[in-house]
Amino acid sequence: MTTAPAEVERPESDEVVVPDTPWTTVVWNDPVNLMSYVTYVFQSYFGYARGKAEKLMLDVHEKGKAIVSSGTREAMERDVEAMHSYGLWATMQKAGDRG
Amino acid sequence: MTAAFHQVEAELLRSLVGQLLELVRGEPAQRDPRQAGDPLAAAFGLGDDPTRPTDPVVLRLFPDAYRDDDESAAEFRRFTERGLREAKAEAAAVVLASLAAIGPVESDDPLDSGGEKARLNLDADEAQAWLRTLTDLRLALGTRLGVEEGDGGQWQALPDDDPRRHIHDVYEWLGWVQETLVRALSAGLD
Repeated sequence: MTTAPAEVERPESDEVVVPDTPWTTVVWNDPVNLMSYVTYVFQSYFGYARGKAEKLMLDVHEKGKAIVSSGTREAMERDVEAMHSYGLWATMQKAGDRG
Repeated sequence: MTAAFHQVEAELLRSLVGQLLELVRGEPAQRDPRQAGDPLAAAFGLGDDPTRPTDPVVLRLFPDAYRDDDESAAEFRRFTERGLREAKAEAAAVVLASLAAIGPVESDDPLDSGGEKARLNLDADEAQAWLRTLTDLRLALGTRLGVEEGDGGQWQALPDDDPRRHIHDVYEWLGWVQETLVRALSAGLD
């Protein structure tokens, strides 16, 4: 963690800053991946405590999917790419969208 | 971390991981013709856009990132698939290197058909490569077989000479190896 500098020179700009619509990463159930492995991925990649990771894994297993993270579109693209690198079936969508 | 394998198991893994390596290194079947041969795009790693895989195994390894937005899914694929393929290939190569280090099991008994297990030590990075490669192998075999949740009995009921039964046994064995590895790695997280 870091602190902001006391004074920041900002370039003048006419751009209107539109706040990022929050996005979510959704992990879907698949018949192949081990429950222990999915829990491990949630713990090691997101840094979730075992209890939270297990709860999310069970949601995926029993409800068919779970929202595992939320944030900017760019952050969710990183999360989805990481899930794919672990072999989990993940997609991203705008918060509030029903999958 | 230590793993132990019989010679036949190590041979089997070598063959499977070799096939996986070919699969993830394989050229995408179709490419965007608009990008073909554009040297500037290639220089930025943007050439030869991968299109949506038609092979269900490849599609499972590199799934769509958007469910109802083909354009965004194609763009995500354009920016990630190449890197994901390289990462998976790299992990598979690490596994092959660990297997190569096992070497033949020495035995004074000429009739010993691999009763001894060869041991291999994995550091943290190697363990991660094994974890991901075992996952990719199971995804490939499971998708090819068409496994579904809770269908174990169906495979056991197949006749002995049905090749799918043998493949499913291998798939289950890979799951057992992975479970052991996940358990060891998870113990280090708490």
